Amino acid sequence: MISSETFHVVTTELVVGAFSVSGLSFTLYLLVYFGILKRPSWESMFDNVAHFTLAFGLAATPFAILSGLSSSPGEGLNSPILVNKMFLSMTGFGFALGCLISRWRLGNAVWSSTKSSALHGASGLAACGAMLLTASAGGTFTRGESLLDIFHLPYQQVLLFPLLVSLTALLLGAVMLVIGWRRMNSISSIH
Amino acid sequence: MQIRHRVRVVILLTLLLFCSAFGAAEPGGNGDSMRDMQCGGACHGDASMNETSQALLSLSADDTIYLGIPTTLTLTATNLETSSTRVIGLFLLTDMTGHSDTPQDAGWDILSDANGGSVNYIERTLTSGQNETTISWVLRASSLGPTSFYAAIHHGGASSSPFFGSTANSLAVNVEPVPENLPRLAADFTPPTKRLLNSPTELLIHTEYTESLQFEWMAEDGLVQTSIVNTSGENSWTTSLPAALQPTTVQWRVIMEGEGPEQTSPWFTLTAEKASWEVSQNAVYLQAFALLFMTAGIVLSLQNRFAYIPSLSKYDEAPALLEAHSSSSTPENPVSTAVAPLPAEGLPNGWTEEQWEWYGHDYLAGKYGGGNE
Repeated sequence: MISSETFHVVTTELVVGAFSVSGLSFTLYLLVYFGILKRPSWESMFDNVAHFTLAFGLAATPFAILSGLSSSPGEGLNSPILVNKMFLSMTGFGFALGCLISRWRLGNAVWSSTKSSALHGASGLAACGAMLLTASAGGTFTRGESLLDIFHLPYQQVLLFPLLVSLTALLLGAVMLVIGWRRMNSISSIH
Repeated sequence: MQIRHRVRVVILLTLLLFCSAFGAAEPGGNGDSMRDMQCGGACHGDASMNETSQALLSLSADDTIYLGIPTTLTLTATNLETSSTRVIGLFLLTDMTGHSDTPQDAGWDILSDANGGSVNYIERTLTSGQNETTISWVLRASSLGPTSFYAAIHHGGASSSPFFGSTANSLAVNVEPVPENLPRLAADFTPPTKRLLNSPTELLIHTEYTESLQFEWMAEDGLVQTSIVNTSGENSWTTSLPAALQPTTVQWRVIMEGEGPEQTSPWFTLTAEKASWEVSQNAVYLQAFALLFMTAGIVLSLQNRFAYIPSLSKYDEAPALLEAHSSSSTPENPVSTAVAPLPAEGLPNGWTEEQWEWYGHDYLAGKYGGGNE
């Protein structure tokens, strides 16, 4: 029997740990890919680790978000930091989802060109960065300080779009996701 | 079948995870609120789910309680033992049935509690070594007659089980009619319990049968001070409290004089806090999902664009198909691509062997002016 606060700590540790390993693996893969790290035989290992940990972190993310909402003091989103946490975690979730779907549907073709590799690595790293920022915002909210305070991030400022803009973006994003998925399906069927 | 079985396992695990998150006790406290005993956070009031607290609870009240006039109920809790978080939760109740047992259910308004709110359940964090505490509620009766009050406590302990305890006996109070001409706060006056930081607080106080009024306030250091009171009409008074620079509480009371005997109100608690921050939750959730879909959609679209997929046309597969076709040909079904037999005179003049392989049949058919024609 644990409280939602403790459960939130457990899930966030899983998310942050998994995404950190994933980010590190993506970085190392890109270093190998671009010839900075002369270990071409490690490519496969970094590729597998990066995507496996990304998938694991992604699976734990909904639990972290839900337990975070239930454990926050007061009613609902009553602090700009909580709102920014929500935005950052969902953005990270989106990057991770796009990255994993690409890898799943396109296979090794995501590493087939320099542009594609850079994009794939960047999306994985962006997912990792968004999750680390979310964790940093959580530290600022609960303890009033965070390791990333040196950057003076504007956690107290919320960029909130009008409902219509958000709705349009949501529909546009959903359409892009469906089209992207269908195109990848058709490519996969040739293979 | 295997996929269905896996889906069931995932759903079961998910449900179990949610049960542990939302159905568990709250060692960090559950927050001040208006709560029935049974629902004081994780069902501590359920006898089958808790151990008996060793805390001793004692309620006390003013000797005389008048209808419509605020009065103070004080709870003293001793012999306290808690978990490592040192959080205790204290209830003020009007029966021990476990539901519909708040003072409000019995017709009493809670005007102020010890934490600066106006609820029947409050939480306190004890300091190290502290094993007793005293807290007060200010209430106002809305009907005549007797009422029984009870207090209850829940907290953690050395074991993982929650602890629950209650007063051994009820505190019986009797609400009497208010005497004529008794100076008092107006029956509809509700004292504020919150104020904002960094700005002085103007208080407007309404009274009845009051000719003069004194205002006293006390900060957390216990020093009692007075403020100047101005009248803003008959039985209407204004006064001010200095600005609070930190989230802190002050207590205040008024001393009223009139034709009747002098009356002193209970101490009301006023908490200073930051201005609350509000946002449209629908807009936040919608934007959050928009960000999710947009980022995922953009990544997929760009990845489709940049990834190099070798283009395979139907013609690229021809050699493999021809090979498969030729290997599957049977002697009874001679293929049309078999090389035509050479004429007795040999290759036509100027032909190569390869040309004969492909166009030999046509030559024999007389297409090129030779052969059988």
